Amino acid sequence: MSHLSLVKNLSHLQEEQRFVDEILLETSGLALIRGSVAEIAGEPSSGKTAISLSFLAKLTAAGEICAVVDSCNSFDPRSAVLAGVELENLLWVKCGGDIEKAFLSADYLVQAKGFGAIWLNLNGLPQRNLRMVPKTYWYRYRNRIKETPTLLLVTAEEPVTGSASQQSFLFSREGASWSGSGRFKLLREFQIRMNSRKQFFREPLRTMIEADYSDV
Amino acid sequence: MSKLYACIISTDIKRDKTSLEAVARQFSYLIEMLDDGILFDVSGLERLIGKPDRVAHKILDELEKQNIAGSIAVAETVETAVLLARQGDGLNSIHSPETFQQLLLASLPIEQDTLNIFSELGLRRVEDLLAVPKDDLINRYGRAFSNVVDVIEQKGRQLLTPNVKDGEISWSYHLDSPVEDFEQLIFLLNHGLEKLFSEIARLALSTEQLDISFKLRNKVRKTYEIKTSFPTLERTFWLKLINLRVALDPPESEILAVDVVSHFTKPRPAQKGLYAVSRPEPERLLLTVNKLKKLVGEENVGVPKILNERIAEAFVLDADAMPKGRERIEIKDEKAVIAFSYFHPPVRAEVLVRDGRLVFIKTCYFEGHVSECSGVWKANSKWWDRSWKTEEWDVGIENQGVYRLSKAGNEWFLVGEYD
Repeated sequence: MSHLSLVKNLSHLQEEQRFVDEILLETSGLALIRGSVAEIAGEPSSGKTAISLSFLAKLTAAGEICAVVDSCNSFDPRSAVLAGVELENLLWVKCGGDIEKAFLSADYLVQAKGFGAIWLNLNGLPQRNLRMVPKTYWYRYRNRIKETPTLLLVTAEEPVTGSASQQSFLFSREGASWSGSGRFKLLREFQIRMNSRKQFFREPLRTMIEADYSDV
Repeated sequence: MSKLYACIISTDIKRDKTSLEAVARQFSYLIEMLDDGILFDVSGLERLIGKPDRVAHKILDELEKQNIAGSIAVAETVETAVLLARQGDGLNSIHSPETFQQLLLASLPIEQDTLNIFSELGLRRVEDLLAVPKDDLINRYGRAFSNVVDVIEQKGRQLLTPNVKDGEISWSYHLDSPVEDFEQLIFLLNHGLEKLFSEIARLALSTEQLDISFKLRNKVRKTYEIKTSFPTLERTFWLKLINLRVALDPPESEILAVDVVSHFTKPRPAQKGLYAVSRPEPERLLLTVNKLKKLVGEENVGVPKILNERIAEAFVLDADAMPKGRERIEIKDEKAVIAFSYFHPPVRAEVLVRDGRLVFIKTCYFEGHVSECSGVWKANSKWWDRSWKTEEWDVGIENQGVYRLSKAGNEWFLVGEYD
């Protein structure tokens, strides 16, 4: 009779939440689950954008259509190309710093269903404004994309999604390497530490992000 | 499923051209006008009408209704249909494929010398030539003669080349009183589209372009050409698209009448597979892009495009393009690279320079000592029409990030962040 019970036990619920399809970045060991909200927060130059672009590169290379909600017009397509993103599979929405437009745009995209990933980039928006966004928005997104193959990836300087996100990471930069000496230096790489905010007992992941000066 | 073609040969094509086209349109929208008649594709009509001879009789009935004379043939190949129809005397007569073997060889595309030889050999009709081994014929008269053999064996490969412009149907409505708000007309348009689309569906066709025209009170016509990249007859989708398009550029005056023209096209073949990657349905994608354009502005939604220029921000947003969902063939190594994020507008900074070295940076958001620095780089490389005025540095700031610092004249700015 246990399967008829209205109250499901915790392990059953955890199992139910897990979508079979994960998007894994082999280089960093980071895996995000489709059909859920994932969040990457971190201080400036902590690799949020680089890792987000790596996810978009993986999906767009396979022919999936992805979208970028660029809340502050900060997106750099040249960096995206260097990361391996197929620009012709990418929809770019510039919101000009308007937080309301950014959230509504993400809402429209989530409703469309079928996008591989929607990257809601909130970097650069004042934290005070972001804290004023009702939490219900995030649950609305979560409900809309569950049981779809879409990943909603949110990046911001501080965590904003609360418990609506299935995965939440806090990135920090452990160091930056520069080559050369004196005036003749070049930025070479960032060493990044990725802490999961939802799995407290898990060891943090570490990765390196290299600078690429090749021509696009 | 075999193909089926109908041909009508007229005695006076100049006079009957319009009527013949009207008759052909009753049966097909793949029509080729010939010098002496009309050819059209009637494949699939066997299910609706019956065997080819019944289709031919149906065409004959339509010809009689239009009061025009012509000889009709329905056959499985273009050549057979045309040759049979041309055998007629111009009166309303039907020529069935069974009579094909009785055709004179003179009506086939055979050179006169060869015809003379055939005549001397007593070969006058198609059935006579069919009795000769085809390999011998091809050996004697060359490879080109295999086309003639194909025709007499009714295996011709000639294709119908539609040269009559794709059709269109229209619907219009004159309002009793002028309407200011287009949204009030949606229900009316819904009714019109229902009529148009049911007519198009009846012809087993679809549409990917609607022309909407409003007659306005100030005696001006406002026209919207709405196109999709795929054919569809989904009414709600078209209504939403029309609504979004009109909302972007509403009519200046009250609306007096509405005209809708729908252009035909072949329906979309759709294939859904187990291994298909995630892509939004084309209808949903187009609607979403239009909704986004209405929200953030037309110029702010599109596909990024790299410019082949050495300037700052050498990229644009192509607002007319749509994401294609194309798979990359070449395999690239997966790697995370340091990305750049622009500050729009750039953040003004105060910079302390000591002995030619950047020491301290202060902005309205943060301040700190410069821990690492690379540069100076000369930016903005259109050196042929302006001088090098902008200098750039990559700076790491203590307890902050790594930024690109720019100096234009005497002003300092942070133009973006490495992230």
